[in-house]
Amino acid sequence: MHASALHLSHFPAMVIFALLVSIALAGIGRHTAAQRIKYAVWSFVLFLAIGIGLAWLMYPFSR
Amino acid sequence: MAEEPVNEAAPVPVAVRRKSLSALPFLVALASLAVPGLGHAWLHRWGRALAFFVAVGGLALTGYIMRGQVFTTVSNDPFGRLGFLADACSGVFYVLARFLEATGPNLSRAAGDYGTRFLASAGIVNLIGMLDAYAIAGGRRG
Repeated sequence: MHASALHLSHFPAMVIFALLVSIALAGIGRHTAAQRIKYAVWSFVLFLAIGIGLAWLMYPFSR
Repeated sequence: MAEEPVNEAAPVPVAVRRKSLSALPFLVALASLAVPGLGHAWLHRWGRALAFFVAVGGLALTGYIMRGQVFTTVSNDPFGRLGFLADACSGVFYVLARFLEATGPNLSRAAGDYGTRFLASAGIVNLIGMLDAYAIAGGRRG
């Protein structure tokens, strides 16, 4: 059995990765549900912001 | 009716606490390693159990669907062996990926390469969960 392959580009792959890892980090980092959601959102946004920031920093070297 | 507040910092159940000097932390760690979140569920940490199950399962299955490389015990280089260790730490999801894998990885596309990283990350995240469950069962974490 083999599912059809999922061909994600860089950005959707980064978004999925950031979302899932943020959920796990929020799970161990905070105690209440509200704190967890806040931490997960904050972590997710930082993942994306830093990822996009690093991508732009590398842009001059890409050509 | 008021919603009951979620308090994951609640003390470990008495029946569980009595066994804290025994092999419980190791059993909880083993359960977490086998099935992501099971160790936390054993300790009644339902939120963490769900978080780890969703995160590890999501990473491993996305990696598999992206046709990442699932490393086996047979490898000629140290990176392959490290890859196996990382993959195997996702427990039941590693077995599932091996079972579902029929045509092998497709590393000719970026998605396949990312999939390999997703699979390894699933194992690392589960390892963090296992250590967290171990620390809770041993009374070193709330």
